[in-house]
Amino acid sequence: MAELHVVVVTPEKTAVDETAEFAVVPLYDGEFGVGIGHTPFIGKLGHGELRLRSGGETTRYFIDEGFVQVRDNTVVVLTGKVVHVDDIDVKAAQAQLKEALEMVPTTDDAFAQRDRMLEQARAQLHASRRHF
Amino acid sequence: MAKARALDKRRKSIRNIRKITRTMELIATARYRKAMERATAVTDFTQRITQIVAQLSSTGAEAQHPLLETHPTTEKGLLLILSANRGLCGGYNASVVRAAMAQYRQWTTAGDDRSALELTIEVSGTRGNSALQHRGVAVDQLYRDFDDQPGYAEVEAIADKYIDAYVKGEIDRLDVVYTRFVSLAKQEAVVETLLPFGSLAQDEAAAGEVDYEFYPSAEGILAEIVPMSFRAKLFKCFLDAAVSEQIARMVAMKSATENADDMIKRLSMTYNRARQSQITNEIMEIIAGAEALSQ
Repeated sequence: MAELHVVVVTPEKTAVDETAEFAVVPLYDGEFGVGIGHTPFIGKLGHGELRLRSGGETTRYFIDEGFVQVRDNTVVVLTGKVVHVDDIDVKAAQAQLKEALEMVPTTDDAFAQRDRMLEQARAQLHASRRHF
Repeated sequence: MAKARALDKRRKSIRNIRKITRTMELIATARYRKAMERATAVTDFTQRITQIVAQLSSTGAEAQHPLLETHPTTEKGLLLILSANRGLCGGYNASVVRAAMAQYRQWTTAGDDRSALELTIEVSGTRGNSALQHRGVAVDQLYRDFDDQPGYAEVEAIADKYIDAYVKGEIDRLDVVYTRFVSLAKQEAVVETLLPFGSLAQDEAAAGEVDYEFYPSAEGILAEIVPMSFRAKLFKCFLDAAVSEQIARMVAMKSATENADDMIKRLSMTYNRARQSQITNEIMEIIAGAEALSQ
């Protein structure tokens, strides 16, 4: 049976190199499922959860922006940061969320930065919470 | 006796130095391997980005991003110099500083077609910092936490700072002075202009055989890929510098060990000679003494 080959590459190392039956990647505006035989696709990723289903087991990772390329049953994720959901630093994420909520942005740039921080922190917390 | 003993003492101290240089060589070798692995990983990453870019540009999309635009006038430059935190690595730091000084002089003096740039100097590594200050160059920012394994997160923070400054017009140009790794036998200090970000590397040959779907759109993705590609490029500079530093240290320590070997050999010979002549001397004295008694 055909399988999906999933590779997550960061500038530091090839973090994940696995096979799966089904993968869910976090696009910037929602989740995106990739099954076997998916059409070639390139998309922009946001903060969120990457899920790989293989043999009834699901492995979850947190991805912090990047790009995804799907081709010939190979899913390549290019990202700056990837962590297994168990290894998410919940305290740091909570601190970041708190800090972002207390920010009082006045310029467009500051607003954008705050939104990005909020989104990043919430996505991390969400990904870690789902697991319990 | 005095001379032989002094020679022996020197030989001992050289043996100790040899032990140290030999150990440093081995450590540098191990670190070099690790650094090399990381450099290979980032190459893999940039290659994949290039692939995507090639796919995108084959659709005829044009990238639009502030980082790709050259500012109308170049007045404020930023020079980032990647040197080592520690010495004992041959000419590594010296050649980086030499390249940096050449660039510095070129920028700070007005040319035919341009005036002198307003320069910000940022240095990674304490060695480069002290060398520049010795030459009277004011260093605005010093990074000292990059050793043999620069972390992406730290480099990313610096890259984001530069992106921000460039977009806001606080800098018009960014040059990085670092030691590029060409091969195990060759590393060279180079000055590379990272901003304005030249064209995204495009490999036409690889493009066009598969029809991709793009989300959001080819243009949108291209614009997003520019900063990521810039970060990866800056990270690659740091990794190259780290690899080159370890190689430089390896080579320097290897020749230091060999020199120590030669010195030990020469000293041993002199020592043996001195000892022998001392023994001969003593025998002569004893014989002379015995003869004097027997008379």
